[in-house]
Amino acid sequence: MKSNLTRRRFMATTAAAGAAAMASPSILRAAGAPIRVGTYGGFFEESFKQFIFPEFTAATGIEVQSIAVPTGETWLVQIKNAARANTAPADVSLMAGTPRSEGASQGLFQTLDESKLSNLGNLSDTFQDRNADGGLFGVGGVSWYITLCTNSDEIPEAPTSWAALWDDQYADQIGVLGLATNSFLLEVTAATHFGGTDILSTKDGIAQVFEKLSEIVPNVRLWYKDEGAFQQALQEGEIPMGQYYHDVAGLAAAEGFPVVSTFPKEGGILDSGYWIVPQHVEPMDEVHEFINFMSTPETQALLSRNVGTAPVIDPALTDLSEDELAAVSSAGAPIIPRYDIYKDHADYISDTWNKMIAG
Amino acid sequence: MSDLNIDGVSKHFGSVRAVEDVTLSFKSGEMVCFLGPSGCGKTTLLRMIAGLEEPTAGSITLGGKDLTRVPVHERGIGMVFQSFALFPHLSVGENITYAMRIRGASRSDCAARAKELLDMMRLPGVEDRRISQLSGGQRQRVAIARALALSPSVFLLDEPMSALDANLREAMQIELRKLQQELGITTVVVTHDQTEAMTMADQIVVMGRARVLQTGTPMEIYKTPVDRFVAGFIGTSNLLPARMTGADTVETCGVTLRVGTNVDRHKPGDEVLLMTRPEEVFVGHKPTKNSVPGRVTFVRDIGATIEILLDCAGHEVVSVLTPKDWPEVEIGQQVHVDMPEAACSVLAP
Amino acid sequence: MGGLARYLTLVPSSVMIGAFFAVPFALILLTSVSTPDDAQDYIYAFDLQHFERFATWFYIERALFSAGLCALIAVLSLLIAFPFTYMLTGFGPRAQNTWLIYILAQLSLSEVLIAFSWQILLSRTAGLANILVWFGLAEKSFSMAPSAGAVLAALVYLAVPFSVLLLFPALSRLDKSLIEAARTLGGSPLRTFFTVVIPVTRPAIISSGVTIFVLTLGAIIVPQVLGRPQHWTLSVLITDQAIFNFNMPFASALAVVLLVLSASVIFAVTKLTGGNKS
Repeated sequence: MKSNLTRRRFMATTAAAGAAAMASPSILRAAGAPIRVGTYGGFFEESFKQFIFPEFTAATGIEVQSIAVPTGETWLVQIKNAARANTAPADVSLMAGTPRSEGASQGLFQTLDESKLSNLGNLSDTFQDRNADGGLFGVGGVSWYITLCTNSDEIPEAPTSWAALWDDQYADQIGVLGLATNSFLLEVTAATHFGGTDILSTKDGIAQVFEKLSEIVPNVRLWYKDEGAFQQALQEGEIPMGQYYHDVAGLAAAEGFPVVSTFPKEGGILDSGYWIVPQHVEPMDEVHEFINFMSTPETQALLSRNVGTAPVIDPALTDLSEDELAAVSSAGAPIIPRYDIYKDHADYISDTWNKMIAG
Repeated sequence: MSDLNIDGVSKHFGSVRAVEDVTLSFKSGEMVCFLGPSGCGKTTLLRMIAGLEEPTAGSITLGGKDLTRVPVHERGIGMVFQSFALFPHLSVGENITYAMRIRGASRSDCAARAKELLDMMRLPGVEDRRISQLSGGQRQRVAIARALALSPSVFLLDEPMSALDANLREAMQIELRKLQQELGITTVVVTHDQTEAMTMADQIVVMGRARVLQTGTPMEIYKTPVDRFVAGFIGTSNLLPARMTGADTVETCGVTLRVGTNVDRHKPGDEVLLMTRPEEVFVGHKPTKNSVPGRVTFVRDIGATIEILLDCAGHEVVSVLTPKDWPEVEIGQQVHVDMPEAACSVLAP
Repeated sequence: MGGLARYLTLVPSSVMIGAFFAVPFALILLTSVSTPDDAQDYIYAFDLQHFERFATWFYIERALFSAGLCALIAVLSLLIAFPFTYMLTGFGPRAQNTWLIYILAQLSLSEVLIAFSWQILLSRTAGLANILVWFGLAEKSFSMAPSAGAVLAALVYLAVPFSVLLLFPALSRLDKSLIEAARTLGGSPLRTFFTVVIPVTRPAIISSGVTIFVLTLGAIIVPQVLGRPQHWTLSVLITDQAIFNFNMPFASALAVVLLVLSASVIFAVTKLTGGNKS
């Protein structure tokens, strides 16, 4: 349970970075040697080792060596440094949106051969990352929702729109994530008040959205960086409302805490990790086979049941029951983070965000 | 006016008895020395007068006023510490006027008093110096000046000379005594140095093992010590084991001697010690009516005096003579040590 | 000859200090003036754009706030630690050792642990406010964090054991006869404390204060867990830039500013207070 709560915590960064640094570079690889798969350290890696990798080995005969990787950009730097030495720290690994678009622009990832990915069609276009000339470099691996969570003792009638964040009656009662890059509140604001995230394509647009977003500041009691801190406060009713991870909120509710996760009508925030393949990786056939395996409905269902992630494919393809599906996702259209803006306007967003939250 | 009375005072630290049932009384303006080896309780007694320790039992009065429960800072005493305890963060002048400034004295009064005291201590013009710039002797003068700044009714000094070198020590003893007589201030000095006590004191209190052994003027204590311990502590003495044979006679070294002092404390048959002072016994070739036989073991002629060391039945006896009494003896010679009746006293063994 | 030998014996430790302190510092300095590059984040150059980014009122205000907060914490922790340590030196050796071991053990508690303990202590459901309600001092329980007071309380809590350990050597070496002398000269215990004990131990007080100041400047967990964003210190912003935004050059520039800030405080304090007294 504990590791589940902390699985996306950035604190895992350091440990994972150390583990990755120790992984040996692939100078020569013998046939039949395991491929090195990088997943977010902690609960993610444990679950993958326990439930997913054995299935893959059974299906293909390819052994897997598991590597814990950090969620942040640290992992990108390690890939970059390894590339200078003509090696890669892992053969295939999960990577979040912002570093992914940065790595792609620096040409750090290999273009994948779509003919070897027969299951690619299961994934919608959003889960297929392509560079300017259409080459595929990222394939959706796992995703999860951030929703509006409430304490039902304090707020019996859960709001159904993100607009609640702007509502005066919740003054000093809301908890949200502490960074622009992990709260995706710019996207939430754009979707709630500007009819979608397109407005974020320009700096002016971002400024307008910030203007609107800054109105929630008086309502925010906690800008959290640590999931545990907010979950504690939410369960106890100390901070009765805020954005939180849908799957963990569900687990808390299952344990009897008065926590309700609501998908607002504008959609939950769908954050995800994509599989990428660094330059200089040699066992490309095996890597393609791995990505293909991960894209099957069976594997996606396995992930939903055991890791608690939402499927990156059309849920109808899986054998997940309605309840199982509700535990990890919703049918409504999600808010998809605009990872590109955090690369293009990094300094501007970070400075404006810091000023805004400091009041 | 400011008679100091100590009445039945004891001090126990846990199971350690530092001072046990001490009763003393001093007249105003007297200079008293507490004399004794380290650990005898003399410093603890002084600290109880100062108020730095609270007596376990008994009372201390000054000029009729009971001080026993009065806190230190309200006692109006002046004290000089063994380490001098000068404040390193203050200048000489600020040290001296610390007590005045606490009482809100004006700047000009302070400056005037500091100058007066430093002149008195023959240390003029050092008001602005730092303590670290002073020599040991200068520090002591500043410490004395500081303690006297408010003209206290009692002046206490804890081993005041121990931080000074030997030459300075003798000069300071005389100077301190003169100062005390000039000011007429009741003064108590703690020391383990008998010369210091003899030089300065009106009254000496000899202490040992938490108790007062003897109180008296320096001469009284020198001439008639009450026991072997006091005799040994004040000056050098010749001690011969003896036995009382009559009301005023003892037998020692095979002869019978008449004893002139302290004799009424003992009865015939008692084992006692026959005590004589070196400068009161003489050496000659013939026996006298009050002499013991002995053998010369060493002769030391230092000009002004001649010391003769003798062996009397296995006990060492010293005779210090002026050259005019020189008996012309040689080492190894059998001689007779003349112990005049008045010079002989007996002590409990 | 002897001088040369003395210098030679200094070589190994100097090399160690050089390797462990100077090299990382030089890297930070280099990174702080690096310039962005398309192919690889940044390359070493002499570019002051990260310092220009700092030179806005927001970041300057953050730096001043951090300095003010840490100075306040240094003062408060000394106000608590000094009288306690002074009394501690009067205890018997056994009691002293027990206390010192207890305080030393406090230091092993991490900032994270302390931050979360205080969060519970100040919470509505399990916190101190319930005691106020119990005594009838408050109508109903309330949460005391996040707030400036909570940040201050937890950081002072963190700093007090350090203060005690920093002050203890000086206070235990303090010549007790100085205090007795002041008492015989008519100083009440309180007066003696202020006119003798504090001035005589002033160098230790100042160096402890500066140490606490620098130490708390580096705190990142407590301000985030117990404070609102307006209570976040420069160190928090550095962590954000380094770990979450992965802007090493800007993080380095902020770190250099922090370093300059603490160095100038140390310099100013030693200059202002060290000169006139021994």
